[in-house]
Amino acid sequence: MRSVWIFYQKEMLEAVRSYRLIWIPVVFILLGIMQPLTAYYMPEILGAAGNVPPGMLENYEVPSAAVVMVQALGQYSTIGMLVLALITMNSISGERYSGSAEMVLVRPLTPLAMVVAKWAALLTVLVLALGLGASGAAYYVMELIGPLSWGGISSAAGLYGLWLMCAVSLTLLFSAFLRATAAAFLGLLSAAAFSLAHSLLPAWFDWTPAALPGLSAAMLLEDGGALRLGPLLSAPLFIISCIAGAALLLRRKQLPG
Amino acid sequence: MEDIPWGLIGPLVGLQLLLAVIGLISLSKAESVRGPKWLWAIVIVLGNLIGTIAYFTAGRKDV
Repeated sequence: MRSVWIFYQKEMLEAVRSYRLIWIPVVFILLGIMQPLTAYYMPEILGAAGNVPPGMLENYEVPSAAVVMVQALGQYSTIGMLVLALITMNSISGERYSGSAEMVLVRPLTPLAMVVAKWAALLTVLVLALGLGASGAAYYVMELIGPLSWGGISSAAGLYGLWLMCAVSLTLLFSAFLRATAAAFLGLLSAAAFSLAHSLLPAWFDWTPAALPGLSAAMLLEDGGALRLGPLLSAPLFIISCIAGAALLLRRKQLPG
Repeated sequence: MEDIPWGLIGPLVGLQLLLAVIGLISLSKAESVRGPKWLWAIVIVLGNLIGTIAYFTAGRKDV
């Protein structure tokens, strides 16, 4: 436990020194506040770009507050997830390929402690970025479009965060046995395949973590839509198995190839 | 130009600038980056959000 805490502090120090703790929250806030702004000022933006047929702009209606908030959170599943996968990819892979994993693990630090500490550091960055980003988006939506309940916003953001954390944990698992870029690529690809499978066969995949973004949207659109237990239970299980898998792989192979 | 709500647009511009400045500080302190430094400086300044993300994820060697 103590070694996890020490390694976690070292990870956070690294996050500060590499500016990760600053630039990722700033990117998340920017992504979050851009969505309400573009939704509200769409006619002006299109008008300034020119080439708009006359009469088209009169028909534009600003989407409802809940819809814009869902779109703002949706930004995090594209650029947000890309950023998260790219910062996760190096976490274990970098230590293995540089040889520092072998050096660190001769000390009384188990592979599990190392993986858990790295995962907790990633979780800290994600919570900070998503919390600030979602609050920024919510503030802009309320200023420009209309009221939203903070309860709905926080549960929607929490469910979205759980989904992003599943993707981060999967990338961490891949990072334990692949090169960094391959890990990021596979992590993003599996997250995309997972959501595609869920949208094609919702009946089969409704209990998986891939249902979480839909559940998050329902929290805003239906104002406290029914929470289903399936995704809420399977997501933590999925995350725990990714961490355990990464620790097992790291125990077996601390150096590449 | 006078009906632009600067109270709402201001933070957007400010954060964009902050991000570019963080990127440039990190670039100036980095010992080595992938590719020439002056090229990354141009990417950060001109590419604002995407440019800085690209620098931090692809340009820095420690991510």
